[in-house]
Amino acid sequence: MHDEHGHGHHEHHDASSPEVRVEALEDLLVERGLADPERIDATIRRFEHDIGPMIGARLVAEAWADAGLRQRLLTDADAVVADMDIRGAEIEHIEVKANEPGVHNVVVCTLCSCYPWALLGLPPNWYKSPEYRARVVREPRAVLAEMGLELDPSTEVRIWDSSSETRFLVLPERPAGTEGWPAERLAELVTRDSMIGVAHAADPGGH
Amino acid sequence: MLGPMQSDPHKRGVHDLGGAGGWGRIPYEPDEPPFHADWERRVFGLLGAVTSATARRPGEFRYALERLHPDDYFDNGYFGRWLAGFEVLLAEYEVFDPVDYSARLEARTGPIPSEVRRMSPERRVAPVADRVPSMLPPDRPVPVPQRRTVRRDLAEPPRFRAGDRVVAPTPTQPGHTRLPGYVMDKPGTVAKLHPAEVLPDSTAHNRGERPQHVYCVGYDARTLWGDDAEPNATVYVDLYECYLTAAESD
Repeated sequence: MHDEHGHGHHEHHDASSPEVRVEALEDLLVERGLADPERIDATIRRFEHDIGPMIGARLVAEAWADAGLRQRLLTDADAVVADMDIRGAEIEHIEVKANEPGVHNVVVCTLCSCYPWALLGLPPNWYKSPEYRARVVREPRAVLAEMGLELDPSTEVRIWDSSSETRFLVLPERPAGTEGWPAERLAELVTRDSMIGVAHAADPGGH
Repeated sequence: MLGPMQSDPHKRGVHDLGGAGGWGRIPYEPDEPPFHADWERRVFGLLGAVTSATARRPGEFRYALERLHPDDYFDNGYFGRWLAGFEVLLAEYEVFDPVDYSARLEARTGPIPSEVRRMSPERRVAPVADRVPSMLPPDRPVPVPQRRTVRRDLAEPPRFRAGDRVVAPTPTQPGHTRLPGYVMDKPGTVAKLHPAEVLPDSTAHNRGERPQHVYCVGYDARTLWGDDAEPNATVYVDLYECYLTAAESD
């Protein structure tokens, strides 16, 4: 991919490199009045700083702290999300799946990379990878073990393939030793991976 | 290099990866950031502008990605396939002339060897398949919501209920679908209903909304993978009503 005879600041990219292509494409769209660089910047900033797993983590922590809310989240997550004024892309319809002793949930999108953006931000590369999309439906225990999560053989695994506009969020189990913690402190234990279902919530001893 | 693009509906598309063999370790990186390079940021930031000018119908952008050559689909990851999809859509919608775009690339990097010329349609992308309307479920008038959403309220009751055994046969025509190959022709059990939605198999092809009830269908791993299946696993897939027929009870 290195272009030895190039000049200027593109000397390490050839014309098929995404760096060069996206620049040319953005220039064309901006010239035609179809894109606005400031809006592009604002969108990027929003997804790098304002929208991320902390939104889903707050939802999970509130559900851990409040049994009534937990029940509502599991039966009508759309209403809870609306009540908490969480808005944005890719949450047309949300379903929350609770992990509990004997049941473990994990989320995938085998056909593309559907993911609840407004709750978790943009998905990590591994979630979008062909390796994860191909394998987690076929060998979920092997995939989870590879990612550091060993499930007991007696635990039922439920894999949720996001093939409609419904998006899934896993409610991880509340770690032991967190009795009486306020939701703000609990939220620090709720990792992105635990809400996809490839990890448990963080160990409170680690905080 | 892989062969020419296929239009055989029985051949699974490049994107239809569930259960596909040959893939190795998950490229897992704890606490990954949303972007790994600045070009990925720009691609992401352009999504709204590109789809506003081109693929506005549900399923249309996904279908553009599904029609990509495997090199474009896999080589630069998720944002790489978005970028290739943008180029395809902008050319197909004639927002810009591929020759003009290529000239801009060459202005930055020097002449493009013909084998990597980005906008060569025959190499890069399969055409939009001709979807025969008579093979789609009938359209039906429903109130269209004020806000932008794929959800619709259907007057007709759903054909299936939780607990019903169903099967989704392999589609008989090529084109966009949300039916993953690995569940085709396998019996499953309706777990619950989701809100009804417009049918992407139709909207992606500009054949109307044809809204459908949507079912969450559970498949026992042994049904999907036979003796290779891991124990005690169920895969849940969301399927549009027109995909499904009643399965013989077992």
